[in-house]
Amino acid sequence: MIIHLPFFPLLALAALTGAAALQLRRRRRQNGQADAQEPDWSAPVLDEAADRDSPFHRWDARLKIASLFIYCFLVVSLQTLTWAAAALAISIAAVMASRIPWSRPLRRLAAMSGFLTMFLIVVPLTAPAVPGETLIVLDPFSSLILHGEGLRLATLVVVKACAIALLMEPLLATAPLAVTLQALAALRLPNAICQMILLAHRYIHVLGHEARRMQRSMRLRGFAPRTDLATLRAYGNFLGMLFVRSFDRTQRVFEAMQSRGYRGAFPTWTTFAATPADWAKGAFWIIMGIILLTMDRLNLC
Amino acid sequence: MHDVPAGHPLPPRGLPLFQIRDLAFAYPDGTQALRGVDLTIHHADRIALVGHNGSGKTTLIKHLNGLLHPQHGTVLYKGEPVSGDNADQLRQEVGILFQDPDDQLFCNTVYEDVAFGPMNQGLPQPLVDERVQEALLAVDLADHAYKPPHNLSYGQRKRAALAAVLAMNPLVLVLDEPTANLDPRQVRQFARLLERFAGTLICITHDILFLQGLCDRAVVLVQGRVHHDYAFADLVAHPASLREHGLDFSFRLSCCGDGHHHANPEPRPQPAPGSGATGHGGVPSSAEAASSRIKIRPGSSAEGGTEKKALIELRRCSYAYPDGTRALREVSLAVRHGDRLALIGENGAGKSTLAGVLLGTLAADGEILFAGQQLDARARRRLWRKVGIVFQDAADQLFCPTCWEEVAFGPQRLGLDRQEVDKRVREALATVQLSGYEQRVPLNMSGGERKRLAIAAVLAMQPELLILDEPTAGLDPRGEELLLAILGHLPLTMILITHDLFFINALTERTVVMHRGRILRDYRTDDFLADDHLEEAIGLGYVYRNECRRPAVSAR
Amino acid sequence: MHISDGVLPTSVALGCYGLTAVLNGVGLWRLRDHTEELPKIAVVTSSFFVASLIHVPFGPTSVHLLLPGIVGALLGPAAFVSITVGLLLQSLLFQFGGITALGANALMMGLPALAAAYAFPRLRGRTRTSHAIAGAICGAGGTALAAVNLAILLGTAGESFFGVAKIALIAHLPVIVIEGVVSAFVAAFLFQVKPELLRP
Repeated sequence: MIIHLPFFPLLALAALTGAAALQLRRRRRQNGQADAQEPDWSAPVLDEAADRDSPFHRWDARLKIASLFIYCFLVVSLQTLTWAAAALAISIAAVMASRIPWSRPLRRLAAMSGFLTMFLIVVPLTAPAVPGETLIVLDPFSSLILHGEGLRLATLVVVKACAIALLMEPLLATAPLAVTLQALAALRLPNAICQMILLAHRYIHVLGHEARRMQRSMRLRGFAPRTDLATLRAYGNFLGMLFVRSFDRTQRVFEAMQSRGYRGAFPTWTTFAATPADWAKGAFWIIMGIILLTMDRLNLC
Repeated sequence: MHDVPAGHPLPPRGLPLFQIRDLAFAYPDGTQALRGVDLTIHHADRIALVGHNGSGKTTLIKHLNGLLHPQHGTVLYKGEPVSGDNADQLRQEVGILFQDPDDQLFCNTVYEDVAFGPMNQGLPQPLVDERVQEALLAVDLADHAYKPPHNLSYGQRKRAALAAVLAMNPLVLVLDEPTANLDPRQVRQFARLLERFAGTLICITHDILFLQGLCDRAVVLVQGRVHHDYAFADLVAHPASLREHGLDFSFRLSCCGDGHHHANPEPRPQPAPGSGATGHGGVPSSAEAASSRIKIRPGSSAEGGTEKKALIELRRCSYAYPDGTRALREVSLAVRHGDRLALIGENGAGKSTLAGVLLGTLAADGEILFAGQQLDARARRRLWRKVGIVFQDAADQLFCPTCWEEVAFGPQRLGLDRQEVDKRVREALATVQLSGYEQRVPLNMSGGERKRLAIAAVLAMQPELLILDEPTAGLDPRGEELLLAILGHLPLTMILITHDLFFINALTERTVVMHRGRILRDYRTDDFLADDHLEEAIGLGYVYRNECRRPAVSAR
Repeated sequence: MHISDGVLPTSVALGCYGLTAVLNGVGLWRLRDHTEELPKIAVVTSSFFVASLIHVPFGPTSVHLLLPGIVGALLGPAAFVSITVGLLLQSLLFQFGGITALGANALMMGLPALAAAYAFPRLRGRTRTSHAIAGAICGAGGTALAAVNLAILLGTAGESFFGVAKIALIAHLPVIVIEGVVSAFVAAFLFQVKPELLRP
């Protein structure tokens, strides 16, 4: 089957959408801080919504992480668009059930948009021909042919990626970071890694502020990033200084830790006690994943 | 709450807590930080550890906590040398409050941070909970227990770090520059907290007024040796001998000689040798020397009441941060050519935001005029060519591998040719007395040198307005004195953001007081210094002046 | 560029996880007697994380820096652990790279860092210029290697993705140049300012 689509109206439509998005972004920036050239150093706080209440919040963190992690792998194994869409619907339901403000999952989707847009454009154009597939010809360019199979594959990737990205918020934002990490430690993630995550998460914020102050003072001395060697030199010096300051800080942080009795481990007491309800929730997700995968493979609609 | 440091045994009667004998220490890079320190510390001693930057104070206190081990000589704690198990015990009983609270708050919530120490002490959960609550209550942060530290203000982080140390119920509390970057109210809050602490106190600071009433013993370190070890009163009483070690705090104490004469601002009267003396137990001779040394307030004509054209003017400017904090509310301010203006107010009053608006980095609602011209968004972004700022922390400003590159960065961005850049660099370095430093690495220079380099980097751009944000932060008295001399000679329109009344008095003739985003007062510095109602108005105790009027050495 | 969820076949994603786990195990095992190193690597990791938020303008668009060469030069064999933690945090905080693709992303970035950790000390020489050149080689080479890894990983997803893989490779060419130049400046800066940070 061959479908003919008019190229220029499509292009105009895409351009309009893009312009609208840019406009929206610019307006938001103007409302926000300072100048558009200010890079955003702020990192979101992972467990901002940890103090709410939902089935996810009440779920034993170990089982939550383990079962959702397995579920994620089951979802990436899906191969039909129908069941991937079903997984996406389940994820949307999960976000709603976890009572997390939508701004956060949407930010995650926005972060992936560049990579996924590239997929949506490139794969249909470059995918090899498959016998029996639908071809979409963009008039008047007869050489611009979208392959139906490629389009299907790219869409599948996008849908699966969104389904999993949306699950990240119910997974991570529904417990304090420390509890999440203790759960990871209980799941046999090496203690050293957990400690490093804990510290790195804190110092991302500290060093982010530091970088922001340094960039501001550079700008006030006339630094405006361009595509030239002077800019790259300034960035090289700035990054070098950022690393030097972070190394200096590591020494001081370590001394502060030692002076409060650190001997190689973060003390904890959180004890996990899984209730039957916790197990049931875990089983629910894994069974759901298995059902999705089975239906997918049997190609039942 | 801290009457009895429960849980830690005191040394037997008569046995000192610490006995330090002939302690020497050199860092791997060869810097000899300590050269034979002898010091005995008894329980409940309250020691002011002073000395200029680089004299070995921080190195010494790291030995008290087992962070460093003696390379030569001995450190006995309760009569035992520090090693192994003993070191663990030592760390549980000796708490250090480091300078930068961000180094000390390494967890993701305040609660976890404060609980870290007690948990490492092996206490059971209910007791840890109790300790944490108590400590947070004491520092007035009970509501913030579950916030991440990066969402707290600097003053709150500093107090949270103190809570983290206090929660371990230390026998000995060591403080490294506890008052740096705090506003006067926060300093007083800190002093009150420490007064309640019953154990041994060791305090490193240049803030000699903070030490008054807190410490009863002063140990002066000079080049890695204990130079003096006497009653605190003697420290202030013998400024002459300290002067040769660059430790002359008295140049600060002399300021209150001015405070008494607020009716008659220009020229500054020299305090008569007798009149000041009554207040300071022998300070005046040096006070006199100090005020003649320091160029105090250039006799500018700005005070003459002549209508000078405003260099930069804000009209009804408001600014709110994206999170909704309204930092500026309808602020109007005109800075005239040649003005030397002090901008004061509690932390969070909107001073930095106001500076951001003057620099053009923040777009406020309202009008901003430069040399009579109203600025649009484009012109506002070019304000950096006219307005320069020296930030509080030189580390935020210095990022080049050599001093020359550092100072040349701004002029190069102005598009000047190589020759002009070179000339500007030379001049700017000369102005801040760093000639010959062109090829030095800024990172390896001392705090005072780095601060002056940061100033040079801005001066080389020849700004018409210079903003200085807490220029004295982290400097030792010698560095402050040099800075004062340099700033006093700069023929520039200047805005000084500071809590340091001595600098305000010495450098400015106009003071703008901010409170909660508004300008509350805008008057002559002399009127500000004589203003006794300010504290009621803004709840900010600029008590320095009052302290000065009192006999300096008497207890609070 | 990070790989998101749903691109790689499950077997490849799991295999990469396994290999990443092994390499991290080796990295941590080497640090077993130096537990004091862990907090330090963590703080340095956050500085790499912050550095990766920088967007360097490139014509009308911008590229963001990954600096695998510098990470390797600064941390040596521990670079792989650092990169894994950094990518995990990027994935958790920003959704840069999916959670199921974490293993693949860690290999993509971590292997070049290990290569740089091996190469940099052998190339650095004793002068500022030689450090800059070594930085440029490690920066550009590391990024090129990462781009190749990315292309290979995308290629495992099937013939339909070859086109994407090719385009990803081409899109990385300017990034390779920029990374090389910035890494050269960073290396020269560190040599001048704090040479002891660069591993012998």
